[in-house]
Amino acid sequence: MSITQVSPELEHDIQKVFESDSAALKEFRGNAQQRYQELPEPHFDRSSLENRIYSFIPIEANEPTDWQKAVESLVDLNGEHPLLVFVDDRLVHLGGLENLPNGVTVKTLREAAQEANVVALLGSVVPVNENKWIALQSAFWQNGVYIHAPKNAVMPGVIQVVHLTTQKGRGTFPRNLIVADANSQLSVLDLYVASDEVEEELHIGITEVIAAEGSQVSYGVITNFPKQTTSYWVRRAKAARDSRVDFTVGELGEGYTIGEFGSLLEGEGSSSNGHAVALGTGRAHMDLTAKMVHVAKFSQSDTSARGVMQGRADGVYRGVTHIQKGASGAVGEQSERLLMLSPKSRADAIPMLLIDENDVKCGHAASVGQISEEQLFYLMSRGISEAEAKRMVVWGFLDPVLAALPVDRVRQAVVQILERKMN
Amino acid sequence: MANIPELAIHGLQASVEGKEILRGVNLTVRGGEVHAIMGPNGTGKSTLASSLMGHPKYQVTAGSAMLDGEDLLAMKVDERARKGLFLAMQYPSEVTGVSNANFLRIALNSRRGEGNEVPVLKFHKELQSKMKMLSMDPSFAERYLNEGFSGGEKKRNEILQMAVLQPRIAILDEIDSGLDIDALKIVAQGVNELRGPELGVLIITHYQRILDYVKPDYVHVMMQGRIVRSGGQELAEELEARGYDWIKEELGIVDETVSAGV
Ligand SMILES: Nc1ncnc2c1ncn2[C@@H]1O[C@H](COP(=O)(O)OP(=O)(O)OP(=O)(O)O)[C@@H](O)[C@H]1O
Ligand SMILES: [Mg+2]
Repeated sequence: MSITQVSPELEHDIQKVFESDSAALKEFRGNAQQRYQELPEPHFDRSSLENRIYSFIPIEANEPTDWQKAVESLVDLNGEHPLLVFVDDRLVHLGGLENLPNGVTVKTLREAAQEANVVALLGSVVPVNENKWIALQSAFWQNGVYIHAPKNAVMPGVIQVVHLTTQKGRGTFPRNLIVADANSQLSVLDLYVASDEVEEELHIGITEVIAAEGSQVSYGVITNFPKQTTSYWVRRAKAARDSRVDFTVGELGEGYTIGEFGSLLEGEGSSSNGHAVALGTGRAHMDLTAKMVHVAKFSQSDTSARGVMQGRADGVYRGVTHIQKGASGAVGEQSERLLMLSPKSRADAIPMLLIDENDVKCGHAASVGQISEEQLFYLMSRGISEAEAKRMVVWGFLDPVLAALPVDRVRQAVVQILERKMN
Repeated sequence: MANIPELAIHGLQASVEGKEILRGVNLTVRGGEVHAIMGPNGTGKSTLASSLMGHPKYQVTAGSAMLDGEDLLAMKVDERARKGLFLAMQYPSEVTGVSNANFLRIALNSRRGEGNEVPVLKFHKELQSKMKMLSMDPSFAERYLNEGFSGGEKKRNEILQMAVLQPRIAILDEIDSGLDIDALKIVAQGVNELRGPELGVLIITHYQRILDYVKPDYVHVMMQGRIVRSGGQELAEELEARGYDWIKEELGIVDETVSAGV
């Protein structure tokens, strides 16, 4: 991959985008750009970007127009929950922040990164040099949300963030940083969508969560990009002693997607649960990984994923539980169940247990299959038509994950998207 | 056209995975009647039930089955159900994420047809009263369909479905297996409540026990994929007392299962 060759004028525009950044952030970006030049293409056993067509120039987008409708199909613009809306990396809406508890900060990451101590946290969970794409994103990210809950703060409600892409060719590089200090609690729901005209767009998204001792963070993320987009995302948390981080992940995109979520369980007694749902439609390619790394003693993780592939969609789901030496007493559970609805769809579940410690408990369940003939027969034997019976089985299959989505309005929106795509 | 339900089976032959199982079954079940089919393991009893309901694994190769004068075998599974056929299965499926109540409401509305849906509140009231009749905890309405139900709870749930859907012909495949005596009485009582001229019942069982509570009008014995003997309640009692060997002897059958003579 490469950044499109740019003329001196464009180069000037690119520089201008990042001109107002703090010295610390400029240094971070410069370093990342260098890593990007040096690092080899990352290797994924089931995905490759080599044949994808896209180009991007990280310039500022035009003033967005007419974004309300797309956003309102997902969230209430003036609902009870805090809401930030970014359109092509510009903040266009910031509401519902009146009732934040004392000391809680919710602002754009760009603004927050004026402070060197915030910049110091960038890359502390997802290292800049992890791979070429992460380095690229770290160099050119334009915006996202920064959330900081101080010690003991309990955030009511759910902070909603919408990232809408409407212009192609820029590269969409949203980045979020969530910091929960000791014993604080917060819940975030992060939504990524793009208008259908956005083709051949490259999206790289990074979310870093830093959960301090005893804190509780719930992070939900839904992605729905149109076909021909290329999307790579990493949502990762670092969990300190007795903290808990829960993920709810929905991948509904129709393009080429590689995504990874999970926690580094670095503190004793830390825990992380995940629910994931994937729907592959059309010619979607999905290469998804849930990765739980147990570093500390008595750390716990439990992830369950459900995927439905239809049309010619191709889905791979890896459940990685890595228990490192020293993490005695750790408990790691993963389960993934994938359903293929059409003869041309493909689905693979790849369980991976990497265990370097003796005294641990690990479990794994994986299944890939079609709708069970017995279930269909059973439902139809009660007078339910075949089409309706299939619908019931598929929705039932997804229900446990949908039920875990924290905001009713968003759950309904996701159900609507699923309904539209499954017809 | 009589309003009395009638299932008429003539010379029914069926196979599964190319293996011939049913070898000519003749049987007529009418409204108001209770028939029992008994027989050792592997003699084709469940195959008869599945073939009548239209399970895709079972191919009918000859014979006919008519429900109220209409060709049952030409219908899809769901159509058979909507015409009034019901099968309480030996091994009911579990369906995650679909609540029992929701499933039953959709099934009932499918049976009643578009424009004739049952009002939601009325449905829930009737469902609860039927669950009460079967001594089912109200929470079973909201649980996922059969998921995590014990063997006995699944059987009760089958009878609940029958009570809600009010079929014209009901086939109960081993509805008594795995039930303790109290549960058996409850299930039997549930069946008896529904007995009447509007319903014909075919009970498949190994044990005479349930027939003490649901008195059959006719008892049939199945061996080698055929009905080899028919009689009244006294036949069931005789089987209970003497086992099946005497019938085998009388008929000169050595191996009663369908694998014999293939
Ligand atoms: N789906 C199937 N696939 C393969 N063989 C089958 C299938 N269903 C039935 N059979 C075979 O058909 C024969 C009859 O089975 P069936 O289930 O009808 O017997 P049954 O009389 O109901 O026995 P039981 O009393 O044990 O329930 C058996 O040999 C069985 O193995
Ligand atoms: Mg049987």
